[in-house]
Amino acid sequence: MRIAVCRPQVPFARGGVEIFTDALVTELLQRGHDAELVTVPFKWYPGSRVLTQAFLWRLLDLEEVDGAPVDLVIATKFPSYVIRHPNKRVWLVHQFRQAYELDRTELGQFGESPEDRALRRKVQQLDLVALGEATRLFATSENVAGRLERSTGLSAEVLPHPPQPLDYRCEASEGFVLSASRLDRSKRIDLLLEAAALDQSLEVVVVSDGPDRERLERLARERGLNGRVRFEGRVSAARLAELYARCGAVYYAPVDEDFGMGPYESFLSEKPVITTVDAGGPLEVVHDRETGLVVEAEPAAVARAAAWLREHGEEAAGYGRRGKALADEVTWDRAVARLLA
Amino acid sequence: MRVAYFSPMPPETSGIADYSALLVPALARRVELVVVKRGRRRPPRRVDLSLYHLGNDPQAHGWILDALERAPGVVVLHDFVLHHLVSGTTLARGNAQGYLDALERDGGLPARLLGYAVMEKRIPALWESRPDDLPLAGGVLDRATALIVHSRHVEQRARSAGYAGAIHVIPHPAWPSPSVEAAAVGGAPLFGCFGNLNASKRIPQLLGAFSRLHRDQPDARLLLVGAVSPGFDLDRRLQRLGLHGDGIVRMDYVTEERLWALMAACNACLNLRAPTMGETSGSVVRQLSLGKPVVVSDVGWFSELPDEVALKVPVDEHEVDTLHAALELLATRDDVRVAMGNAAAALARREHDLERVAELYAAALEQAAGGAAVGEAVLREVAQAAADVGIDADGPEAAELARRLAEVELGRPS
Repeated sequence: MRIAVCRPQVPFARGGVEIFTDALVTELLQRGHDAELVTVPFKWYPGSRVLTQAFLWRLLDLEEVDGAPVDLVIATKFPSYVIRHPNKRVWLVHQFRQAYELDRTELGQFGESPEDRALRRKVQQLDLVALGEATRLFATSENVAGRLERSTGLSAEVLPHPPQPLDYRCEASEGFVLSASRLDRSKRIDLLLEAAALDQSLEVVVVSDGPDRERLERLARERGLNGRVRFEGRVSAARLAELYARCGAVYYAPVDEDFGMGPYESFLSEKPVITTVDAGGPLEVVHDRETGLVVEAEPAAVARAAAWLREHGEEAAGYGRRGKALADEVTWDRAVARLLA
Repeated sequence: MRVAYFSPMPPETSGIADYSALLVPALARRVELVVVKRGRRRPPRRVDLSLYHLGNDPQAHGWILDALERAPGVVVLHDFVLHHLVSGTTLARGNAQGYLDALERDGGLPARLLGYAVMEKRIPALWESRPDDLPLAGGVLDRATALIVHSRHVEQRARSAGYAGAIHVIPHPAWPSPSVEAAAVGGAPLFGCFGNLNASKRIPQLLGAFSRLHRDQPDARLLLVGAVSPGFDLDRRLQRLGLHGDGIVRMDYVTEERLWALMAACNACLNLRAPTMGETSGSVVRQLSLGKPVVVSDVGWFSELPDEVALKVPVDEHEVDTLHAALELLATRDDVRVAMGNAAAALARREHDLERVAELYAAALEQAAGGAAVGEAVLREVAQAAADVGIDADGPEAAELARRLAEVELGRPS
């Protein structure tokens, strides 16, 4: 089949969606399909730009290209699913969350003016039309499917995807807590830094990059964490696998995350995950005292969880092994088979 | 966003006052509401939008219609037929011309002539005899920047009347079921009928059908709760059917708490009416939330109830027979009653949930207040980009742009 995988592109940014869609194309190619990634730059502000930029997708003609039909498009996140195609399947990573659960929070975008309120509604209406056109709807997690159903009434099949391919392995714990999320305010890495400020024995390694990096580094300096918290920035795949292999636990506590590959990467390295009760998607696989620890979103609770796992090595290893069994179930073979069925 | 909220409110006793009492707290969590004092005919200062609740009763809604005439806004059309409201705010105030104009608008010159005949008392009042033919909703539709209705039936009637603005179909919200104990009424089974007792509630047909059921099922009871309308001789009808004191339980006015307890005691409830003014029924919504099967007339909003929760009785020459069959089915089949009751409760939770309804209201109000500006901004930006690359406004490329915009409902207010 000729398959176009559609993904909006925020120039100069790379995160979970980019990793996921790149991997999807690779996996489709490996299974003999002619797959291609289609991206369109996306900027969601100011004002109605969110709609006009979304509309760009509608102007694409992917029914056929260069004289040959495109059999299937797979759209992933807002606004790629605005694309028009007779066989549009959506594997939903997330909607434009500022128009939904992030509205009227510090992560929201729309103000209280009538224009802003109407703009938000228009985004919702666009979702209803564009997602309603899909011939099949999948969501990467129950959390994403639940939000979709609550916001539009549309039902999606839950279809998780494996994390990025790394040389996953488990080595002896060096005791540090690893954070590998993008440095974005919604990932709440500051909670881990505040935990380190409370517990002098807690060591932290933060990898990846993002718009929150400067603030986080400043926070670490202000709390006197130099030496115990190390920012490594973007690291190679080999280094990331090494850090997963040697850490004591992985911290992953975003605000109501859609899906989150962090827990799966951690589990494939047989490491337990520390998350919070309000983390959203990760809670579908991080179960308290089974595959990790689920705590209140407070620094003291995070610090206690990290210390407990460090002091209870056998239990921590058991959580990691149970997590691995869970992550092993999520394979590209299964995902692609369902996606194309 | 500040919204002026025009509606009857408690302690006024009307279905719409009850409705607003239920809705306002939930809606106020989403938009800033200013509930307008009864009788005030202008919106308060610094509001972005006015919301007008209109029903057919001139006593309850006359002042709201006056306010709408001064400042257009979003109208909640609780009834489509507004003949009584319009006559009450024109003819009854000495404005015969206004009434005649409204009639002519709906029905042309013949309707105007009928109006003259009414004024000269040569024919019965049209609001009693032919309200459905002459709903007189045109003036309201002219002033409505958007409509909120509770049924597809009213939506279609508004469209048929030429209304081109946005129409939002929003279900009637359900009251949270109070934890009441079912009243001890007796009857096996017990059927309940709540509201004014008169011909338009199909009470004659109901009594006819129930008397037949009662002959075969002497333990069956019919609970009639509500005032008897003037001119409707209930007692004589009951006597003629041999139902007096036997099988019928009569209550006049009851408190809200008692109403819930009585509904809770029923095995099924009857909500018949014809003609319909396009209204919904707060009673039916209460009964659904209590998980009661309902029997309704197959008209208007009542027709739109799912078959799993309602037995629908067409208003035709077989009405009594059909109604009797419905009563018999519900009296003899526990499994049917249970299945319908479960479906009713699920429907109330799913469709009539108060928070869901309030969210739909907020969406409608926000779109009404800012939707046009957003639509224009999108169009302006797309048109500018098209012009920048030399696309002619009359060319095929521009036509395709317009088509694509329309497909995803962009570039126009919703």
